[in-house]
Amino acid sequence: MQKIEIFKITSLNREPLIVEGYFFEGSDPKAPSVAIVGAMEGKTILPLYTASKLVDFLKNSINDSKKILGNILIIPSINHYALNIHERFWPLDKTNLNMMFPGYDKGETTQRIAKKVFDTVRGYTHGIILETRDDLSTCMPYVKEFKSGFEDLEDAKKFGLKIVHYKDLKPTDTVSLQYNWQLWETKAHSIICPSTMQLQPDSDEIFEAIVNFLNKNNILQHKFLGGYESTIVANEAMQIIKTPKSGIFVPTKKIGTQVIEDEVIGKIIHALEGKVIHKILAPCNGVIACSYKNALIFENAVAFRIARNT
Amino acid sequence: MQILEIFSSKLPVGENLVIKKSRFEPNSKLQTPKRISIVSGIHGDELEGQYVTYLLAAWLKKNPQAIRGTIDIYPGINTLGIDSITRGFPLYEVDLNRVFPGGEDDFLPGQLVHALALDVQGSDIAIDIHSSNIFLREIPQIRINKEFSNATLPLAKELNCDFIWIHDAVTVLEATFSHTLNTMGTKTLVVEMGVGMRLTQEYGLQLLKGILNLMQKEGIIQTDEVFEVREPFSSEVGDVFYLNSPCSGLFVPALSHCDVIKKDDKIGDIVNPLDGDIFETLYAPHDGILFTLREYPVVYEGSLIARIFGGNDAKN
Ligand SMILES: [Zn+2]
Repeated sequence: MQKIEIFKITSLNREPLIVEGYFFEGSDPKAPSVAIVGAMEGKTILPLYTASKLVDFLKNSINDSKKILGNILIIPSINHYALNIHERFWPLDKTNLNMMFPGYDKGETTQRIAKKVFDTVRGYTHGIILETRDDLSTCMPYVKEFKSGFEDLEDAKKFGLKIVHYKDLKPTDTVSLQYNWQLWETKAHSIICPSTMQLQPDSDEIFEAIVNFLNKNNILQHKFLGGYESTIVANEAMQIIKTPKSGIFVPTKKIGTQVIEDEVIGKIIHALEGKVIHKILAPCNGVIACSYKNALIFENAVAFRIARNT
Repeated sequence: MQILEIFSSKLPVGENLVIKKSRFEPNSKLQTPKRISIVSGIHGDELEGQYVTYLLAAWLKKNPQAIRGTIDIYPGINTLGIDSITRGFPLYEVDLNRVFPGGEDDFLPGQLVHALALDVQGSDIAIDIHSSNIFLREIPQIRINKEFSNATLPLAKELNCDFIWIHDAVTVLEATFSHTLNTMGTKTLVVEMGVGMRLTQEYGLQLLKGILNLMQKEGIIQTDEVFEVREPFSSEVGDVFYLNSPCSGLFVPALSHCDVIKKDDKIGDIVNPLDGDIFETLYAPHDGILFTLREYPVVYEGSLIARIFGGNDAKN
């Protein structure tokens, strides 16, 4: 294992930000390669945890280095400055690093950071980006794949996560890492991690999914017990359930559970008077893929997203 | 004048989120079907536009007999942001000017911008007033997407601004208010002026005159007053030069905003407050007008310090 410096940036008052990647050289020069990008945002823990666990696993649990067939680069965090103060974006100008790709070496600070990261990860066969949802919801772990024209859904299924969300491309997605990485011919996928700020007993699920992905792609000779046969879920198959009332949101079904049509899946309580003012019913059969993550919910906010059973 | 709600949403605890507009119409029967919409406060840390809409509403109240068409004023779109010094939509942390056109099924910020787009739709002209951000100070300028410049450039020249910046189409900007409304057939102009979190009164008065002039030319108001407007310089006849900070530190400017400068004039120093050293002294990369200048002193490597517009004559 080799540590490589990807960029270093000084600060007026803080210690310099030094971002490093952990590089594991593969034993087979013909094997495919992978780069994994962890936390780009600061209010996120699973991308960081998953990436750092992978570093430890490859370094300390794979006893025979020949089992690492292809080159593996892991960058657990590119935004320590934000993580350390619980800011979501770049702390000074609040710009989102995942909206700065492919980067620009003469531009603004975060464009320069994006450029250095992109130059480092370009050219890998596969790319994995660990993200969390960008709205106020949390979710079961799933693969997000843009309809970019360069996507590889078969490759995305190899994680063995239940859902591959096959998403229409929005204008703002054209400056994301996934899109630009795909444009440069890397099979890039985003794994959307639950937005929890605390680790749970099942927090290793994504780590295991990545190891199995590496195994199926002949990058690593190791596998965990099998995952799922992924279902491709397009926007049309994702049912949005909004709450007509604002107040205190009490989900009564957990993320990842199967629900049946007309079943109560949550309720809204009047914030000052405590009575139940709305019951949220499942409009279809399916699995709860996403749920609003705060207790106080806005009117017409999306309370749940259900992936419809096909 | 009527006050209308264009969007309303009950917040979780005993409060409504309401977006309002004021509508000014002629007292007698509508004399022109033309409609103009003035929008500001899409970014919660930008207030210059609210001063302009105040001035405009006050003028219209004082001169009701001048009104010939419909004038809609939307002073504050990101209401929660404006009152909490937050650029994006609070909690969601999204830039409202990157979620257009939104939709009814969208998250709350998306529903809000959707309501705005639907309400402004049908206007002949829309003006979206921004005041840069807290980091940079801008002279009054119009930003125009090349894709729509045939329709919008002639209007921009009436607005009494100093600079018209025509930029290439960029996909990410399709999620803005102006792109969405231009696509819907409303000629939409973006004004950038001043700086975040502050009012620059002279700029407010300057733009007010421009808006009144444009409305007079379009027949939306009719008065004996003559609004003399300045002729803007345009990015068509020159280039924009960027100066980004080569290092991190504290930026201390050496000149005032809007100065006409020569190549190699000193723009400022990046200094170290700990030991009194100067990290770097910055010089103008080109002759021209300093139309953007760093306001917020803390900089990182890459932070924008200045933009200079150099005309064709300066190029030789
Ligand atoms: Zn703005």
